[in-house]
Amino acid sequence: MRSLSLYQQGDSILHKLDPLTKILYIVVALALPSITASVKVSIACIISGLLLITFAKVLKNMVPIVSFSTIVILTIFIIQGMFYYANENVLFTLGPMTFYREGMLYALKIGLRIYNIITSVSLLVLTTRPSDLIEALVRKGLSPKIGYVLSSILQIIPQMTSMMNTITDAQRARGMETEGSLLVRMKAFIPLLGPMVMSSLVGTRERAMALEVRAFSSSRKKTFLNKPMESAQSTIWRVVLLIILIGAVIWRVTS
Amino acid sequence: MTTIRVSNLHFSYQEDFEVLKEINVEFDHRSTAIIGQNGAGKTTFVKLLKGLLLPTQGDIWIKDYNTKENTVAFLAQHIGLVFQNPNDQIFKSNVLDEVSFGPCNIGFDQKTATEKAKDALQMVGLLDKQNLNPYDLTLSERKLVSIASIVAMDTDILIFDEPTIAQDFVGREKVKQIIKDLIRKGKLVITIIHDMDFVAETFDRAIVFYNGNILLDGDTREVFSHKEELKKAYLEPPHVTQLANRLGIDKVFLNDEELTNYLKNIELKPQA
Repeated sequence: MRSLSLYQQGDSILHKLDPLTKILYIVVALALPSITASVKVSIACIISGLLLITFAKVLKNMVPIVSFSTIVILTIFIIQGMFYYANENVLFTLGPMTFYREGMLYALKIGLRIYNIITSVSLLVLTTRPSDLIEALVRKGLSPKIGYVLSSILQIIPQMTSMMNTITDAQRARGMETEGSLLVRMKAFIPLLGPMVMSSLVGTRERAMALEVRAFSSSRKKTFLNKPMESAQSTIWRVVLLIILIGAVIWRVTS
Repeated sequence: MTTIRVSNLHFSYQEDFEVLKEINVEFDHRSTAIIGQNGAGKTTFVKLLKGLLLPTQGDIWIKDYNTKENTVAFLAQHIGLVFQNPNDQIFKSNVLDEVSFGPCNIGFDQKTATEKAKDALQMVGLLDKQNLNPYDLTLSERKLVSIASIVAMDTDILIFDEPTIAQDFVGREKVKQIIKDLIRKGKLVITIIHDMDFVAETFDRAIVFYNGNILLDGDTREVFSHKEELKKAYLEPPHVTQLANRLGIDKVFLNDEELTNYLKNIELKPQA
């Protein structure tokens, strides 16, 4: 069944890497530009993220995410370029609109940060199965109940979509128009929502009982079905990442 | 009289996998059972008849209306479909409103719709529960509500998708009675069903689906005489026929009465 995630199947080293190391990568990639306060470091982080993503062969899956955020970033350039409080030197004019140097630089910084967040987080979500991520967090002490809630959300939404289709068919079969003007659509809302809510409530109760008969809330220590994904490689990655992070802090403090 | 005509029908959900291939069939007034293994394409087929899905190739005419050229809501005046799970459709807070929703949609005025709804509830035996909330009824009663809500639309063609699910013996007999009443009223009843005894006792015609194709099509008795093809489609003849076959009588019996009458009339052979 279709699941709600951006995960792409693959067998690169990044796919096999454990999720927590990838989370550490995100932390480091986001912290470095702030610690060093350097545009060059921001660009370096983005490039390293892009290289890793290319290496994991999921670069093309990033296109929709990037193109969406580019729209947002464009508006930041327009607004900051025209209205940033420290605007002084005119960069260029476009008809009645004047863009200033300071605002554009500020927008550039924000833009780079956003791209940095997107590349590093994409690295995690495109190469990690959501269930692996949740299992890794539960191993580290996240409550299994919260873990279940997280993974069930990902499963329930596609399930609800397919339930919605069945309900729509059932009501159309009874002569209800579901296509057409806004009024027609609004009238169709309740007949569709009613069964949806009822079925979901009933489903929730059933699911709770089904979990309980399998001792979900047992206080015993739980074991895991899958082997931990951590390997010697993860340790090396983690050490390298931490050294870079500490190095940056020392550089900042001493200079 | 032809009421449904299917010509050269192909259908697929995904491009590379055909669920139904090259189906040509006509339905007349005879009540028809559609049988076959899970995944043979039965539910897809009736959804196509109802217009909920459109053929990837070929045409379906309901009376004179091509399903491709008319909306589902329009076709609903002519063809009704009862879904497997009643919870997929129930949304009103009392049974009567739920059942009159369909007739109101296809243009009956409020008064006629209520009358039709009451008649339908009478037919399924739930008239005394018309003011209850459907969700206070048992699942099998709710299934009857969903049947009534289609019956109330008074269409000439009715399709049931596994109507005996979640029914005990009493419920099963009730469903059988409803179908027989509808047949008596001159409706074309088409039913997807896995209960071969039910098929033998209720329907005049049977169509066997196998692998997206029609394997057998004919009078119920004749269909159940094709043992080899039935085996291929993983189907068994009705229990009473199986019993007779084990007794060494190579004939198709559709109900126990037929078998007992047959047994009464043969001369008992003296024990050797």
